[in-house]
Amino acid sequence: MTFAIPYRQRLPLAIAALGFLFLGVFLLYPLFNVFSASLLDPDGERLTLANYTKMLGRPFYRTAILNTLGIGLAATVITTALAVPFAFALARLPVPAKAAILALAALPLVLPSFVSAYAIVLLLGRSGIVTQWLQSWGVGFGSIYGAGGIVLVYTLTLYPYVLLPTIAAFKAVDVSMEEAAQGLGSSPRRTVWTVTLPIVLPAVLAGALLVFIETLENFGVPFVLAEDMPIFAVEAFKLFIGETAPNPASAGVLGVLLILMTALVLLVQRRFLSARRFATNARQAPPILTVGRGLQAASAIYCWAIVILALVPFFAIVVLSFLEFRGPVLHANFSPANFAGLFDRSLRPLANTLIFATLAAACVTLVGVPIGYVVTRFRSGVATLLDVTATLPFAVAGTVLAIGFIVSFNSGMLVLTGGPLIMVLAYTVRKVPFAVRSASAIVHQIDASLEEASISLGRSPLQTFLRIVVPLMLGGILSGVVLTWVTVASELSATVVLYSGPWRTMTVVMFQALEGSGAGIATAAASTLIVVTLLPIILLYRLVRRYELSML
Amino acid sequence: MAGIVISGVRRTFGTVRAVDGVDLTVGDGEFFTLLGPSGCGKTTLLRMIAGFCELDSGEIRFGTERIDRLPAHLRDIGMVFQNYAVFPNLTVAGNVAYGLKARKVAASEIAGRVEEALALVQLTGYGGRWPHQLSGGQLQRVAIARALVIRPQVLLFDEPLSNLDARLRVSMRSEIRELQKSLGITAIYVTHDQEEAMSVSDRIALMNAGRLEQVGVPVDIYRHPVSRFAAEFMGTTNLFAARALGRADGGLVSLRPEALRFAADAPAGWPVLSGSVVRVELLGPIARLDVRLGDGTILKAALLDAPEYQVQAGATVRLAYDPSRLTVLP
Repeated sequence: MTFAIPYRQRLPLAIAALGFLFLGVFLLYPLFNVFSASLLDPDGERLTLANYTKMLGRPFYRTAILNTLGIGLAATVITTALAVPFAFALARLPVPAKAAILALAALPLVLPSFVSAYAIVLLLGRSGIVTQWLQSWGVGFGSIYGAGGIVLVYTLTLYPYVLLPTIAAFKAVDVSMEEAAQGLGSSPRRTVWTVTLPIVLPAVLAGALLVFIETLENFGVPFVLAEDMPIFAVEAFKLFIGETAPNPASAGVLGVLLILMTALVLLVQRRFLSARRFATNARQAPPILTVGRGLQAASAIYCWAIVILALVPFFAIVVLSFLEFRGPVLHANFSPANFAGLFDRSLRPLANTLIFATLAAACVTLVGVPIGYVVTRFRSGVATLLDVTATLPFAVAGTVLAIGFIVSFNSGMLVLTGGPLIMVLAYTVRKVPFAVRSASAIVHQIDASLEEASISLGRSPLQTFLRIVVPLMLGGILSGVVLTWVTVASELSATVVLYSGPWRTMTVVMFQALEGSGAGIATAAASTLIVVTLLPIILLYRLVRRYELSML
Repeated sequence: MAGIVISGVRRTFGTVRAVDGVDLTVGDGEFFTLLGPSGCGKTTLLRMIAGFCELDSGEIRFGTERIDRLPAHLRDIGMVFQNYAVFPNLTVAGNVAYGLKARKVAASEIAGRVEEALALVQLTGYGGRWPHQLSGGQLQRVAIARALVIRPQVLLFDEPLSNLDARLRVSMRSEIRELQKSLGITAIYVTHDQEEAMSVSDRIALMNAGRLEQVGVPVDIYRHPVSRFAAEFMGTTNLFAARALGRADGGLVSLRPEALRFAADAPAGWPVLSGSVVRVELLGPIARLDVRLGDGTILKAALLDAPEYQVQAGATVRLAYDPSRLTVLP
């Protein structure tokens, strides 16, 4: 007698099984190897905590922990302090050109943050353009390197993480709550503080936690700006790849600590935030408040200042890439020489970037969309476990995952190091949580009875998924594909660990130019990356617009 | 086409016995309704027949063929959903043709059958429209056409009218009934609305807490409820301890409000009750009275409107009831 699985559960179980297989081999197994590397003695035989005591015994790495947490905290606080008033202005105040502000404010989410960091160096660094110009006037300012510069770049590139959910939350506030407060005698100002802000607080905190996690995992920004200051993700990279002999045990320790920190933050979020969703059933967005001209002008200036400041570094890089560098020194002649220098050697890195991003976007969609469907439609222990596993990569820094990949696929049954596939797989694993989240949000909006109707009309669950669910998800899947594509194209932290020989990407070219003194090449690579990320986004805006029009 | 035999079907969700041992036989071509309050298990039972819910035990047959282990898409069922479930990415014709294509019906035949099905639900000429261009009533017609066109063995309706407005509900339910009768397809219809159930059904199974409370012809359940639940769910009623009406048997008796008349109009021999009117509702065709009897119980009466009645609250009235319409409940 065989154990019969009800037919209805076969498709979700099959998807779950494939999902677990993929995540098991390419996520859990590498992570397990990072853990075991950190826990084994040098002979690799006995379990020991010696690696941890050794690393944590060194002041250098203790400082790295404090630096990383301190910078993360500072960036989170400042970002939140800037983004909440911004969100309030966009949601509730009469600011002109809101659509334009919103579109521009979302851009830093997809533009590579290390490019922004590099632009800050070129502008405000020791021999930076602005620095020298100010010096010629006899004005000096403190160093941009170290914590200050890193926090500045994090603030400018990560504020949309707080801004976007907070705008949504402000717009979801049921205006009758505010009216109730005012009916009870509360002044408008007091109402904002005592009613509106507490309602949006969970959304603000959720965004702030995302910022914090991003700062913990970020590799590129501290790599460019930290100089001698030890930062976690950078030190893990140096221990594993650096000039000294590779040290998987020590790198593993840093990796595990980093995972534990992010996992802790995520747990805190699940514990304390998920229960505190103040769902208010706003039938329509609350009205725009009437305010005086002074406040109106001030809020418009405030919004535009943040948006423009965040985009200036990227704009500067594009301009600088068309100027001539001799060594690190800049000359004010417009010329395409930097691009000639970049592409004369080889178009291969650009081609690699485009191909890897395309392959990874396809893989992420194939893995993430079915998982997102299963975790939303089928409530069971298996689905919950799959959901948690698929969210796990979010807590794993790219550097750490990449180290796990190298340790796991360097030998044995599956050898991937030295090839392109290892990079595509690492990108796929890193982006799966985003694909699962967005697919799950779309599936939530599709009525389950549509699927039952299709099944009762004679289509199997698999055919129903392909013929009804996928077409209905198409708009959302498409924007997910573009977002994955764009973020993979500018991925740095896993790439610099995993690339080899002919499989350099644009980010690697830029990274190597940074390490050398090829400022011209670096700016050209950076502005190529900017174009590569912006083009699909512009296309997406048009596609989404057309899609929305067709649904009217 | 075939009858449906349901035997010993059970299903628990956690600690809730959603369906708790149901045995039913639905005749070939019968319009059979599962009626009950929300949470009584009627929808779970329907979804078991459709194949969207597994059975813990028991079996379901269409004719002689056992279908409860069959995948839902092979059961040959036409199902109509509460929220229409019309595919928004297909035209009306595309929706109706969906099941035919799944059955690999020749393309040449599909167009004709789609037109025919649309004509049945009075949507001739709507094939090229998109779902978002249709009203709720039209969407439900599309859903019905889509379910009929595949000529299923069994039609299932899951509260198909509850999203429509009251007037449309009344006209749609008689249309559904006529369609089903003219095609002769066995139908199972789920609703919580007893008036709707009485209007469309050949027979009704009244469900309560996962069990069948009473199965029968609508008017029988109404007139001869077997339990207090059945008496109360099928319409307004007066429940008395049997002794209060001077009867020897114990238990409760049920007396429908419309079995009462003013004593002056009643045939001789009807028992008379008198009391004071506490409330009057003139609804047009009938007047509803609440009358407090001598022992304090409230008696509800429904009387056909007549111009000579000038009853007001506080007045003392004498009402008589038809003794043959008194139902003794166990």
